[in-house]
Amino acid sequence: MKAFTYLTPGSAEEAVGLLGQHGPQAQVIAGGQSLLLAMKTRTARPSALVSLAGVDDLAGVRLAASGELVVGATTTYAALSRAPLTGWHTEIAAVAGNLADRPVRTMGTIGGALCDAGPRYDMLTLVTGTGARLEVLGPSGVRTLSPGEFFAPGGGTTLAADEILAAIRFPAADAFTRVVFAKFRQRTFDAALASVLCAARPGNGGVQITVGAVRPVPVVATAADPEAVAAEVLDAAGGPPLVQYQRELVRTLTAQTLSTVNGS
Amino acid sequence: MVNVTITVNGQPVAADIDERTLLLEFIRDVAGLTGTHNGCLEARCGCCSVELDGAIVKSCNVLAVQAAGRSVTTIEGLSPQRLHPAEHITTGSLAGMYQPLDMLGADAADLHPVQAAFHKCHALQCGFCTPGMVMALKNYLAENPEPTRDDIRAAIAGNLCRCTGYQHIIDAGMEAAEQLRAQADA
Repeated sequence: MKAFTYLTPGSAEEAVGLLGQHGPQAQVIAGGQSLLLAMKTRTARPSALVSLAGVDDLAGVRLAASGELVVGATTTYAALSRAPLTGWHTEIAAVAGNLADRPVRTMGTIGGALCDAGPRYDMLTLVTGTGARLEVLGPSGVRTLSPGEFFAPGGGTTLAADEILAAIRFPAADAFTRVVFAKFRQRTFDAALASVLCAARPGNGGVQITVGAVRPVPVVATAADPEAVAAEVLDAAGGPPLVQYQRELVRTLTAQTLSTVNGS
Repeated sequence: MVNVTITVNGQPVAADIDERTLLLEFIRDVAGLTGTHNGCLEARCGCCSVELDGAIVKSCNVLAVQAAGRSVTTIEGLSPQRLHPAEHITTGSLAGMYQPLDMLGADAADLHPVQAAFHKCHALQCGFCTPGMVMALKNYLAENPEPTRDDIRAAIAGNLCRCTGYQHIIDAGMEAAEQLRAQADA
């Protein structure tokens, strides 16, 4: 690990200020579960760490007046998995409670996963598939991005060096009648090799299928049957061509989630 | 360098440390409690699991500065054995420090129920992963006092045992859950 300065701002604005002051070599630390691993191998060498742990406004789950579910970026997986949610929002808690392992979920945060933007992280599929909006705080205020704008097409994010992710705004509980997430991983604590999210809109809104982990960013499919979804992901830009097992996984997980969504 | 105070097993421990110091290193090298083991150092094996403000964490993947001002419970905090760190560990000093378990019996009052269950069910071979396993199970059983064997498996997914003694560890988890329930009822 390279030496760094550890900074503990008390507010989100102060954190943005510190990032600006310390330049692009400064990095935000939330739970640190991905960042510290990268720092140990020196694939990340920040000169300063700006900790968001002391910024209370950035953590917690609340319902906005619009019905949107606002999840603070530094909300840990453990807290999110225990949040009292209703309707399709319960799937958010279920996904948060079934990734990595318990100790990692204690520290790991939803915002940390999104900013690290590891293609195999479940949270990327979840926010993309449900069309969540991402609130980004910078020196000139807040801007709200769609997942397509937040994630860079080739992987990573479009965040500027002096911006932080403040909150994730999930659509209201009545936006979907049902949301089902499924993934395949080799061992329980591994990141997904493939993940699929099916979101059913009310009325004749249809089902939206999103495939994660096999491309640098999740792919929102336009097709509605498993074979066509697999073919579509196969053709999606970015990353090396899909190999046989990925295609099989996408097809199987899509069929599985679709039948769960339609079965109720 | 930065001055950090962390409460370890109820005792405040203060030191000037490098910002890079991991919580694991603080516990072992600053607080002198070597029951928390350094296995993989990459948040895989879980041998370094401790409680931070009552929540289970892998102390090799938390900076000591992240734990500043907070409370840590390590394996040494579970039972009154070996409350004082050893200056230099030898077979002789160990013999003076530990009461042999056989003398205590598996249900000895001064063992934590999870530790007693590990003894009773023979849930360890080499013992390296044991402190992490015990902490992970102790923490999990507080959240779910009536686990199934599958629940226990999921709870220790982040803890590796290279002696492949998982079956006995799960036995111990179930036994400890039963003992803890009996304690709560009493």
